[in-house]
Amino acid sequence: MHKLLQRQLERCAGPDGQLDTEALFALVSTAYEQSERDRRRTDRSIGLMVEELDELNRNLEAQVDHRTLALRQREAELERQNIRFDAALNNMSQSLVMYDRDARLVVFNRRTIEMFGFLAGDLKPGMHISEVLAARSRRGTLNGDPHELAESILARVSAGQTYRSTQELPDGRAVALLVSPTREGGWVTTHEDVTERVAAERKIAHMARHDALTGLPNRVLLLDRLDEAISAASEESRVALLFIDLDNFKAINDTLGHQSGDELLIGVSRRLRQCTRDSDIVARLGGDEFVIVQRGVACRDETEQLALRVGGIAREPLQINGHAISSELSIGIAFAPSDGTDASMLLKNADIALYRAKADGRGLHRFLETGMGTRLKARRDVELSLRTALEHGEFELNYQPIVSIEDGTVSAFEALLRWNRPGRGRIGPAEFVPLAEEIGLIVPIGGWVLQTACRAAARWPGHVNVAVNLSPIQLRQPGFVNAVSAALQEAGLEPHRLHLEITESVLLENNDITLQALHALRRLGVWICMDDFGTGYSSLSYLRSFPFDKIKIDRSFIHNADSGDEAVAILSAMAGLAKTLRITTIAEGVETDAQRTLVTSLGCTEIQGFIYSPGLPEDGVDDWLRRRTGRLAIAS
Amino acid sequence: MFVDDLSWRAADGWSAPNASSRDVALVLCFGDREALAPSARFDELRSLYPAAHILGCSTGGQIRGNEIVDDEIVGVALTFAKTTVRVARAPVAHPSRSRQTGIDIGEALAGDDLVGVFVLSEGLGVNGSELVAGLSGAVGSAIPVTGGLAGDGEHFHETIVLADGPAESGIVGAVGFYGAHVRFVSATAGGWAPFGPRRAITRSDGNVLHELDGKPALDLYARYLGEEDIAGLPGTALHFPLLVRDRENLDREVVRTVLAIDHDERTMTFAGDMPVGWTAQLMRGSFDRLAASAGRAARGTSPGQAEAPTGDRIALLVSCIGRRLLMGEHIVDEVEAAGRALAPDVRRLGYYSNGEIGPHEITGKPELHNQSIIVTTVHEA
Repeated sequence: MHKLLQRQLERCAGPDGQLDTEALFALVSTAYEQSERDRRRTDRSIGLMVEELDELNRNLEAQVDHRTLALRQREAELERQNIRFDAALNNMSQSLVMYDRDARLVVFNRRTIEMFGFLAGDLKPGMHISEVLAARSRRGTLNGDPHELAESILARVSAGQTYRSTQELPDGRAVALLVSPTREGGWVTTHEDVTERVAAERKIAHMARHDALTGLPNRVLLLDRLDEAISAASEESRVALLFIDLDNFKAINDTLGHQSGDELLIGVSRRLRQCTRDSDIVARLGGDEFVIVQRGVACRDETEQLALRVGGIAREPLQINGHAISSELSIGIAFAPSDGTDASMLLKNADIALYRAKADGRGLHRFLETGMGTRLKARRDVELSLRTALEHGEFELNYQPIVSIEDGTVSAFEALLRWNRPGRGRIGPAEFVPLAEEIGLIVPIGGWVLQTACRAAARWPGHVNVAVNLSPIQLRQPGFVNAVSAALQEAGLEPHRLHLEITESVLLENNDITLQALHALRRLGVWICMDDFGTGYSSLSYLRSFPFDKIKIDRSFIHNADSGDEAVAILSAMAGLAKTLRITTIAEGVETDAQRTLVTSLGCTEIQGFIYSPGLPEDGVDDWLRRRTGRLAIAS
Repeated sequence: MFVDDLSWRAADGWSAPNASSRDVALVLCFGDREALAPSARFDELRSLYPAAHILGCSTGGQIRGNEIVDDEIVGVALTFAKTTVRVARAPVAHPSRSRQTGIDIGEALAGDDLVGVFVLSEGLGVNGSELVAGLSGAVGSAIPVTGGLAGDGEHFHETIVLADGPAESGIVGAVGFYGAHVRFVSATAGGWAPFGPRRAITRSDGNVLHELDGKPALDLYARYLGEEDIAGLPGTALHFPLLVRDRENLDREVVRTVLAIDHDERTMTFAGDMPVGWTAQLMRGSFDRLAASAGRAARGTSPGQAEAPTGDRIALLVSCIGRRLLMGEHIVDEVEAAGRALAPDVRRLGYYSNGEIGPHEITGKPELHNQSIIVTTVHEA
C-alpha cells in the first residue's frame, strides 16, 4: 500500500478502529488533485522551458550565423588589406625588413633585394639577422663584420631603442638606417638610399667653408684652421699669418671688367697655392684679400722668403683675356703667439702690417711693428670723423681770385675746400681728400662743393667765374654730368661760368668713361681746365687727347723760376704752346712782383696767388671785389 | 536538559506538564497567527512558567514529531542543568533597518560563553539577509545563528513574534545559549533543482526585483504559473524559487523565494537581496527530492551527537512554507525523513516559515535561506 494512503487510512481511523470513509475519500481526492496539479505545473514548466531554450538556441544560431558572416567579411577585408599592404610594401622607395623577437626574418620587400643585390634564395623568412647580414656581405653590400653588426643591432633593440644611422656601402652608396622596435619584441629596419642627399650635404658643407670662385677655404674655415694652428704654436714653432692684398685689382676690375678680375683672382690663388707647402693654409677672405698661414716657423727669415716668393711669382704676367697682367701684392705679416693668441687678433695685427705695406708703396711686405697699430688708429679716427663731417656742416669753401693780366680784372675765383675738424682746427684738402677718395666719401663731398660753389658764383658779377676741382673718382661716377647740370640749374648759373679743374692723373687712367664725361661736360658749356700742368710725364700729349679750355701751370715752375734759366725756359715753352693752341694759361702760386713780371712777360693770361689774395671766406668775396674794382678805377 | 511538550487548542486551552516549575528556563512555541495573537496567550504562558524566557512566532504550520498540525499551538519547555539562556528583542521598523536590528540583537546576546543563537523574526517587513548579516557580525562569525522568519500560511498578510512579551508584528526575538555544556548544531538542505536558462538580474533595489534579462520579473512568473496559479500569487510563486548566483563567485549561491508582488510596478519582493549582475535561475522541486533533503539536513547535525547526552535532546526544524505548498499531502514525507535521520529519542519541534536562517551548505556561514529546511539540535553534555 502507498504510504500516503496508509497515512490517510490511519488519520481517518477512529479510536474504535471505525473508518471515516467520507474523510478518507476527501483526503485521497485532495492527494489526487495535488498530484495532478503538480503534473500540470511540471508539464507546463517543461514546455515553457523547452520553448525558451528553443528560442535561446535560435538566437544563438542567429548569432553564430551573424558572427560567421562578419568573420568571413573580415577575412575578405584582411585579404584585401594584405594585397594593399603587399603593394605598398613592394612599391616603397625604402628597403623594409621586419624581424621577430628571436631576431628571425619575418618580412622583407622587393626594394631590399634590389638595394643590397640579393639573389634568389638569399633571403628566407625565419633566417637569423646574422645570416641576413652575412648574405649581404657575400653580395658585397656590407662593410664590416656581419656578426658584430648583428650583435650591435640586437643590443640596441633589446634596450628598446629606436635609432638611426647612416651606413656606407662598399660601392660608395650611402644608406640611412632606421631601426624601430615593435611591440612584439622584434623590430623593423628601413634602409633608404641617401647617396645624393649625403653628397649634396657634403657639397653644401664644403660651400659654406670654401670660396666659390677660387675653391680656397673661406673666412669661416680659415678661422677654424687658424685657431687650431695657433693653439699648437709655440715660440719655437710659430705661426705666420700673411695678409695679402692685390694692389691693382680695382683698376683691372674697372678697366677690363669683372670677368677678368675673377680670372685674375683665380690665377693669383693658384700661384699662392704653388708657393706654399701642403701644411700651410691659403684662404680667400673676400674681394682681393688673401691669407696664407705658414706653420712651424722657426725663424722670421722663412716667412720673409715666402713673402718674397709670393710677391715675385705674382709679378710674373698672367694672360687674361689677351692682356698680360702682372700683379703687385702688398703683404702684412704677423706671428702667433707673439703678435696674437687667437685668430681674430692675429688677423687684425696682420691687417695693420698690411696697411703699413700699402702706405709704404706697392708690392711690399711689412712685418707687424710696434706703433703700427697707433698710426692705423689715427687714420681710423680721421675716417670716422670724416664720415660725419658733411652732415655736421664742418666743410667750408674759400675762394681765391684769378686775375686777368690783360686788364687786371677778376676773371674767376677758385673754390678751395677746408675742413673745420672739431678740436683739430682748419685742415687743408691734401690731408683728407686722399682718404675721402679711398673710402668713397669724395662723391658726396664733391657734390656739396659743386653745389655750394655754383650758388656762390651766381651771386657774383656776371664776368666772374668759379673754378672747382674734380676728383677722378667723381668723373667716373655714372650720372656725374647730370649732377653738374642739376647744380647749375639749381643755382641759376650759366654753364660757361663754371670751370672744372682736373689733374693729369684723370687722363692717365685713359678711361673711355672719363673722356666721354669730359666731352659731355664741355658740350654742356662748362669749361674744362687742366690743373697742375707740367707735373706729369706726358703733359703735352694730354693736351692733344682733350680740347682743354684752360691750363693751370703748376706752382712749382713759378717757384723754381727764381732759381734758374732752365725753369724759365720750360715755363716759356708751356706758355708759348698754350698761346699757339689758343688756350688760356693761369700761372699759379705767384707771390712776388718779380714773378708777376716774369709770367706776364712770358705771355701767361691769368695770375693766381698771394700777390692778389689768399683764399677768402664767401662773405669776404663781395668786399674784396668792391675794393679791387675801386683800386682799378683809381689806377685807370 | 529536560524537554517537556506543551500544546494549546482553542477548545481545551493549554496542556502543559510540569507547569509552575521555576526550573523551566525557556519556552519555545509556534502557532497559527490568530491563535497566538491575543495577549492572553502570553499571559497564560507567563503564569504557567513564571521564570522562563518565552519565544515564539506565527507560522505556516507546526511540526511536532512526524505530525504537521495547523489548529494547535505546539511548544516545548526546556530545563537546563548547566546552561543559561538569554532572550533579546528589537523592533524592525522598516526593512531598510534590518541590519541594525540584527546588530542590536547580536550585541545584546554577545558573550564569551555564547554557543548558539536561535532567532525568530518578523516574516514580511524585513530583509532577512541583512538581519542575519548584522546579527552574525555582532556575535562573531564562529557562533552558529539559526531560526527563521515568522509565517502566515499562504496569506502573506501579517506575521507576529513573541519574545518575553505578548505577540506583536514588526519585532525580532532571539535566544542565546551559554555555557560549556550546551551543544548547538545545525545543518541546511534545499533539494530544489534549477531548470531552464540562467537569467541576469538587470534591475533590482535591495530585495525588490524589477527585471530579469531586461524584462519585468513578474511577467516571467506569470508565464510559468499559468492561468490556474496566477490568481494565487504571491503564494503560488513559491513553486518557482530562484537560484541566485554571484557571477564572479559561483560558490555564492542562494535560493530566494517571493514574499510579495506589486502588480502595478511589475516587481517582486524576495526574502533576501537580489544583487544586479548576479544570475537567477528558476527552480522546481519534486516531492522525493525535497523529502530526501530534509533527511540530509537532519544527518548534518550528527557531529553534535557524538557525545552521550545528559538528559533530553531536541531538534528544531524550520522548513519553508513553499515546500509545504508544493508537496501538499506529501509534506509529511519530509518530516518523516528528518525523523528517520535522527536518533529515535530526539524530540522534534518546528514550523513552516517565510525564510530559514542557518548555515550555508558550503561555506557554513549563517545566512537567510528560502525553500530550505534547517535542522538545529540542542542538548547538554
